[in-house]
Amino acid sequence: MENVNIVLCGLGGQGILFMTKVLAQAALKKDLKVLGAETHGMAQRGGSVISHLKLGSVEGSLVRAGTAHYLLSLDENEAYRNISLLAKGGRLYADAKEKSFPRPEVKQYLDSLEIVARSVPAGKIAMEMGSPMSSNLAMLGFFSAFNEGPLNHKEIRDTIDQISPDRFKENNLKAFDAGFAGKTDKRG
Amino acid sequence: MKRKDIFLGNGAIALGLLEAGCQMVTSYPGTPSSEILPEVVRLVKSEGLDTYVEWSTNEKVALDAAFAASITGKRAACCMKQVGLNVASDSLMSAAYMGTIGGLVIISCDDPGPHSSQTEQDSRLMARIAKVPVLDPSNPQEAREMVQLAMDISEEFRTPVILRPAIRVCHARQSISWGSLKNSNRKASFEKDPTRWAATPGFRFKLHGELNQKLKEIRKKFEGLTLYNFHNLKPGKRYPLGIIAGGVPYSVVHDILSEEGREDDIPVLKIGTTYPLPEDLSDEFMSACEKVLVIEETDTVIEYLLRDKNKVLGRLSDHVPSQGELLPEVIYNLINRALDECQSSPLKGGIGPEALELVKNLELPVKRPTLCPGCAHRAAFFAIRKAKPKAIYTSDIGCYTLGLNMGAVDTVLDMGAAITMACGFYHSFAQDNVIQSVVSTIGDSTFYHAGSAGLMSAVYNDARFILIILDNQITAMTGMQPTPALGIRADGSTGKAIPLERIVAGCGVDFIEVVDPYDIKSLIGLIKKADKWVQDPNGGIAVIIARHPCLIAYRDEAIPQRKNVIITEDCVECNYCIDRFECPALYKDEELGRTVVDQGMCSGCGVCLEVCPKGAIIEA
Repeated sequence: MENVNIVLCGLGGQGILFMTKVLAQAALKKDLKVLGAETHGMAQRGGSVISHLKLGSVEGSLVRAGTAHYLLSLDENEAYRNISLLAKGGRLYADAKEKSFPRPEVKQYLDSLEIVARSVPAGKIAMEMGSPMSSNLAMLGFFSAFNEGPLNHKEIRDTIDQISPDRFKENNLKAFDAGFAGKTDKRG
Repeated sequence: MKRKDIFLGNGAIALGLLEAGCQMVTSYPGTPSSEILPEVVRLVKSEGLDTYVEWSTNEKVALDAAFAASITGKRAACCMKQVGLNVASDSLMSAAYMGTIGGLVIISCDDPGPHSSQTEQDSRLMARIAKVPVLDPSNPQEAREMVQLAMDISEEFRTPVILRPAIRVCHARQSISWGSLKNSNRKASFEKDPTRWAATPGFRFKLHGELNQKLKEIRKKFEGLTLYNFHNLKPGKRYPLGIIAGGVPYSVVHDILSEEGREDDIPVLKIGTTYPLPEDLSDEFMSACEKVLVIEETDTVIEYLLRDKNKVLGRLSDHVPSQGELLPEVIYNLINRALDECQSSPLKGGIGPEALELVKNLELPVKRPTLCPGCAHRAAFFAIRKAKPKAIYTSDIGCYTLGLNMGAVDTVLDMGAAITMACGFYHSFAQDNVIQSVVSTIGDSTFYHAGSAGLMSAVYNDARFILIILDNQITAMTGMQPTPALGIRADGSTGKAIPLERIVAGCGVDFIEVVDPYDIKSLIGLIKKADKWVQDPNGGIAVIIARHPCLIAYRDEAIPQRKNVIITEDCVECNYCIDRFECPALYKDEELGRTVVDQGMCSGCGVCLEVCPKGAIIEA
């Protein structure tokens, strides 16, 4: 397998670390080599948060600008802020309103690099379910619906089932399934 | 039995410590080091080990304890962030002279960026000052191996050894194979030797000579340590440009050259043992290259130590930035610049400046970190500004540093400086016969770490200020470690609880009041009362303990009864609540044209009910 680079971003408190953990654990189960980098400390108090995940044979934990195959963002602005990380032909998944995403100047850039952008109202989905903190799982569900990465829907779902603490498990899976159902291919 | 798990870098370090038979691990939390000790605890419990662990009150305390364990013949380690090593440096400098018996490894985690620190200082430089060897891992797996190496070196040469993982090692995650762990069976014994363990200056001279001799021998050992110091020169071949790199930058350089297929024409010397530098190996590498680019974080250490600086492109020649993290794209560009100067063909896969231009032109709002919705510190800062609007606000290191967003924090120097700087401010103004009010804020854990010595000094020297201890009953910023007030120890066992009130009284303070800052009115009243005490000729320093549990650590206790808060049409858009209370759950709805409550974010603490001057924030 070629190396795969995934970047997850958003704001402190949105559960980026848990998303990273799910994907890393799912990759481990498939016996992939996993190396990634996370944000801890001060930024977790509401500032910009970013996680890098590299699957394959690498030494360094950070994804270099222009080499991310997938960028998952729980915040529209944070998606834009990290846009330079995406590689040509990459995939962008963001929590954003479908109507206005991506902004026209961004779309032009993405098109020039054949990057496909997809949006899902993950925050809204989570809020409607009554668990506003679950937008991270809704986003994972949405991502898994396209079956594009090295990890398929079932592998990600099983991992959530396995590593969620008991008191959150049911909610986590519900949010994941709701995100999965929110698939809307902007190109399709 | 071997198994494979994903380890946080700090977990890999914990694993390395236990694999090396470490019998004592001490620490004070600080990003990016905080998870090492909890990971040790996790493994100790799951593997049934008897390693002793403690959260010490500060880093110097932690190092002293680990040093003592070492000279009883056991292997010991202490973990801290880079600025923690400043606090422990008194201990470190002396321990280097005295030497060790059992292995002693100091893990000092650096924060290039900085992401969550006051400085970007380089712990490798501290190792150089202290004359102790330092190892610089490139990723979690190597950090784990280097712990073992550090223990072995420490024991062989009887010196403390520093392991310096940077944040991209500490907070990396990596899949790692590991097997079962066993207890060490070493028993403590102490052989008295005052000429070493209590050496007076005359003996210190001798010990210094011993240390210098050890460093020479360690350098020889490092020259042959081909697992961690190696290059890929082809015999007889000459190169226009070579790269010397260590730590995290090495891993980045490795990945870039491998992605670009340039391993053969751009040789790399990896330096895993920065000090003492393997100088012969470095000379050998440099003699085959016309120019050598040195890439290291965060300061110049390898670059200073290289014998022949004529060929070097690095920080001293402005080829490498002297501040900020060396991100992969930064390293990519600086390799390209060096290749250009050496008239070698450039790397091909980089991205142009378009994306960065685009992002710049989008003028994205910068999300600054803020106190959590419902955080009691916010209530305290609001009350402080209301009660003493003209005071100088000295503060400290922790979540509450974010009180600066509310204009309630004017200074943040180092751990404990809220108190010591308040003392300095008071006397500096008093000297001119000016009564300048000072309100000092410090967190509970920071007070235990470095507060009491400063408070004693301030009381003794008759400084006058109000000290508010923001007691959220946890070390919050670094990830919820217990404080001595709780009587819960690092492994979850029960310890003796030491209440803040007793320490404050013991420091000689006669005005001590405790209040829940959620009750803003009472806190304002207390601050005014405290102010009278501070100004009274027979008064002194006034201490208010603002006690309310951290919302993240104690969800249910922090908000026993959730209040449903809304904002009515009486809102006149004065922005007072947003500017002065700065709760992330309050925001301006452009369509409605007034401030509203983000119900998804609101914690229901109800403190903002006291905030609106127009009374527009009400309970539904």
